[in-house]
Amino acid sequence: METIVFGIGITALTGALATVAGAAEDTESNIGSQGDPNSQVQLAPQMGFMHRIFNKAVAGEPPAYGLWCALGAGLAWAFMAMQVNPVLAIVLGCILAVFVQGVYATTAYLGRTASLAKFGQPVYVDILKSMTTVTMAHAFIAIFCTVALCHLMNAALGHPFPLPLLGLVWGIALGAAGSATGNPYYGKERQYQNQKFGAGVPISASGNIVRYAEAGERNSIDNGFFTAKIGGSASGICFGLIVFLELWRTILFEHVSAGWGAIVVGILMILIFTVIDRYMEVWARKNYGPYTEVKEASS
Amino acid sequence: MSAVAAKPAAGSAMNPAAMAVGIVLLILMIGVAYILSPGIGLMALIGVIIGGTLIGFGVHFVPVGGAPAAMGQAPGIATGVAMLAAGAGLAGLFGGAWAAEQGLVVAVVTGGVGGGLMMAITCMMVNFVYIFGMGIPAASGKVANDPITGDSQAEYKSQGTEGHGLPFISFIGGVIGGVISGAGGTLIYIELLDLYKETLPSVMNVTAAQVMPIAVAAAGMFAVGLFLVNAVLTAYNITGTIEGPHDPKFKRWPRAIVASAVASALCGLVAILIVMPM
Repeated sequence: METIVFGIGITALTGALATVAGAAEDTESNIGSQGDPNSQVQLAPQMGFMHRIFNKAVAGEPPAYGLWCALGAGLAWAFMAMQVNPVLAIVLGCILAVFVQGVYATTAYLGRTASLAKFGQPVYVDILKSMTTVTMAHAFIAIFCTVALCHLMNAALGHPFPLPLLGLVWGIALGAAGSATGNPYYGKERQYQNQKFGAGVPISASGNIVRYAEAGERNSIDNGFFTAKIGGSASGICFGLIVFLELWRTILFEHVSAGWGAIVVGILMILIFTVIDRYMEVWARKNYGPYTEVKEASS
Repeated sequence: MSAVAAKPAAGSAMNPAAMAVGIVLLILMIGVAYILSPGIGLMALIGVIIGGTLIGFGVHFVPVGGAPAAMGQAPGIATGVAMLAAGAGLAGLFGGAWAAEQGLVVAVVTGGVGGGLMMAITCMMVNFVYIFGMGIPAASGKVANDPITGDSQAEYKSQGTEGHGLPFISFIGGVIGGVISGAGGTLIYIELLDLYKETLPSVMNVTAAQVMPIAVAAAGMFAVGLFLVNAVLTAYNITGTIEGPHDPKFKRWPRAIVASAVASALCGLVAILIVMPM
């Protein structure tokens, strides 16, 4: 019984860490403009729209976070092998991983922006100086929380994978959840704030991203401030739910019916999320209505 | 015509000669494994091939819209197919590895459910952001009516787009993809773990207890690597984006099955050779 209570406590803690990690990951990727929406940041100067948005698509978010979390976890693991206190080891490992992220961010911004020179897009050194540190700070929170939850899974819950491998697995999952949930909000709702609300961006508008703020030109910190409210929090909830429910069903039900208990609970959860999704889909169709008159579709 | 509106034309056809070469290569590699280790090595390779093929097949179900989906210009999840599938499958592998002590069947099913759960949460949150964050209903660009619910799609597509969000068939496709991929990844892990537990003690001259962390780490790394190999192969097969099982590109899966089997056999052979005394 005590083991289960302890396990549930650790599960709650990892869920909370994952929620913070998801929110920080999405905000970092939006300030740094990483992931699919960055295609528009790269495209804008080619369409004649110069901007002051950070431009850092190092890689897709999942492999990028897989690398940084595996690096942070691996270094933390090495420090722990040297008898360093786990908390300090994780902090040190994550600081070193964040420096790698900073190097990638710098070279990505300079390289990507320099490639747009023929279209007249300047490299803004003040943008590089002010944005890079902000992305690094958010990346540190995301990596630290992920490595910390991996350490809890390994040391407290007894998962067989070593810490660096857990860092890779959950880093990729973090990037997948964060990019899937947060990208549309940054890509459509923020970059194309000048387009109609409640509709996708017409393909003909591609590249015409919003470049001006209330005062002066918009920069990526404005984007992070905006997307943190919904995109960031939704990404956090997404990753938090994934981690929490995966652990919760395992801790509580893995010994029921020789492992089949956790499986049945997992299937029930999938069914619950399916019902919620279908309810939202129908709700949207009823409340928002069709864009055009209902007719015989000819797709 | 924009890149988004472009329909797949050439490239969807099967190439019989390439298929035949692939199958011959596959048989050759299975033969090599049989000669090297007719018992556990061959079983491990067959497990890896089946697992890799499951991953390759499962990724076809995952609705991935790539960059256009991030602007609400096309349906699907706004990220790369290989990355999303890897994220789901690895979440499944995490659960499956935990259940490894409870037997092959329980572990593989646990891995599948883990991957399916990750995709169910992710797909639901994608629709949550589209609907409540951006006020956009889900609409498919590839079918007139949702094959499961029968909902009409065309009039819910906003002007100048190919659709947006995740219609119900795409949600179900995502969950199925997560289940199959998670199960495949876990099968690879379990088979390689059994092989390494059996062979590494004699190769390294250590006890079975001492070799356990190395066996777990090596099997886990190979499982992650095989995941990425097969997910990327499938990403090429569907040219980056797919809406789910209702997308015409889904019909290309037989080609990916052969490619995944050959690639998994080659990678699996390497995974076996590192523990075979030559």
